[in-house]
Amino acid sequence: MTRCLDEAKLQSYFDGELSLDMMESVTSHLASCVTCAAAARELEEESALVMSALAAEFETSVPTERLRERIDAAVLGDRVAAAEATRMSSGLAAFFSGLFNFGTQRTLGYASLAVVVAFAAIFAAVKLNSTTNTVNNTQPNTSVAVVTPPAAPIEKVATPVSTGTTAPVEIPAPQKPSRIVNKPSYQVAKYQPSVSPKPAPVKLFPGERSYLQTIAKLDSTIKSNQKDMRPALQVEYQRNLAVVDRAIAATRSAAKSNPNDPDAADFMFAAYQSKVDLLNTIADARLGGGRGH
Amino acid sequence: MNGQARALIESMPNDIGTEAVGPLSFDEAFTLHHRAVFRTARAVVRDSAIAEDVTQEVFLRLYRNLNATPGEELLRAWLLRVTLNVARNTLRGQSRSMVRDNEYHKSTAETGFSVDAPEEDYERRMAIEEARRALDKIKEPMRSCLLLKQQGLSYREIAISLSLKETNIGSLVARGRKEFARVYGKIGGKR
Repeated sequence: MTRCLDEAKLQSYFDGELSLDMMESVTSHLASCVTCAAAARELEEESALVMSALAAEFETSVPTERLRERIDAAVLGDRVAAAEATRMSSGLAAFFSGLFNFGTQRTLGYASLAVVVAFAAIFAAVKLNSTTNTVNNTQPNTSVAVVTPPAAPIEKVATPVSTGTTAPVEIPAPQKPSRIVNKPSYQVAKYQPSVSPKPAPVKLFPGERSYLQTIAKLDSTIKSNQKDMRPALQVEYQRNLAVVDRAIAATRSAAKSNPNDPDAADFMFAAYQSKVDLLNTIADARLGGGRGH
Repeated sequence: MNGQARALIESMPNDIGTEAVGPLSFDEAFTLHHRAVFRTARAVVRDSAIAEDVTQEVFLRLYRNLNATPGEELLRAWLLRVTLNVARNTLRGQSRSMVRDNEYHKSTAETGFSVDAPEEDYERRMAIEEARRALDKIKEPMRSCLLLKQQGLSYREIAISLSLKETNIGSLVARGRKEFARVYGKIGGKR
């Protein structure tokens, strides 16, 4: 009679994990040893119990189709992102690589120089027109224009969000964007007081305020939930937001320059409305059972 | 060799010990393994919606590493290894919520993924809950061994999935099984 079987060997035997020789020797041992035969019976019973207890966990339906769709979408998104990245690196990044060759310090220097020049222009414009509107209208644009070249694409997306939503609502406009936007435009804020220490109330179009308030509210709701937003959704959201914000900026400046054209204002409100719609969709997806799909 | 041993050998899954036939396509990998990935993820995160997120992430990683993944033979082990890692990382940032899982079941029932009658569905969920409570009491790595064994993984695959030695798996499965039977019996399992 061979040596008695340990737990592991017995388990391996029932799991079919032993070599042929071992299998045979265990089988013959079980036939002759009462103790091991009893242990084997116990093991079989327990295995059956585990099997049936865990069966429910592993027999529930698997949403194959939905998983397939989600993964296809994710793979597609991945491919698009990769293609964009390569295009970026070959095109844009190559173009700006000259800038980066200076090192960040000098790039910042150039950026701030550009800011100074821009503000000299603004100052001249203010002097000429002596309207406060020009300041508020051009200020966010210049800060964007200055930041954009050295900034990464994500920041490009983020900038219009801050200027588009928060800035005009609860002005003093100059300070707000400077906190969110990165370094170069910080210098914008520094210069700001010299430009408009006089009160510069934002002149909103009639009806614009309610849009801005709605947007600010939705925006903060979404921001507070942004952490558990799926990455794919987040990317799409940011992309759409950038498009809408650009539309708002364009239509708003058109409406400003043609104050007597009702169509221009309508276009601007349509742009605002689509932003509200977008934010609503996202907020709903977050709060409601958006996980379902 | 007597009949019992022969029957055992014949009942052995074919994939044990077969050599790699060549790399699977991404589609084939999904078709073959998405169930195991999803179920393993759900067993860890205890939430079907999060398990879907985990499954998506796992296959996205497969897609990104298609050239660096092992051949057909060990692909399942690789996938489940990634699944366990992603699921555990996800769990760290999530609070378990039975409520959300229930909502999920409602929504999937509406969209036709689940065809169970409501009572049957309830019973099944209770059974799952009981088993999960028992599983919670089992220490790692025995618990993961048990989960993977239940999915039909070979000792070799389990060893790869959990970064353990293949020679230890038998004993770990045995201990896990014993512990589970003891705890599950106490909680009120059927036997």
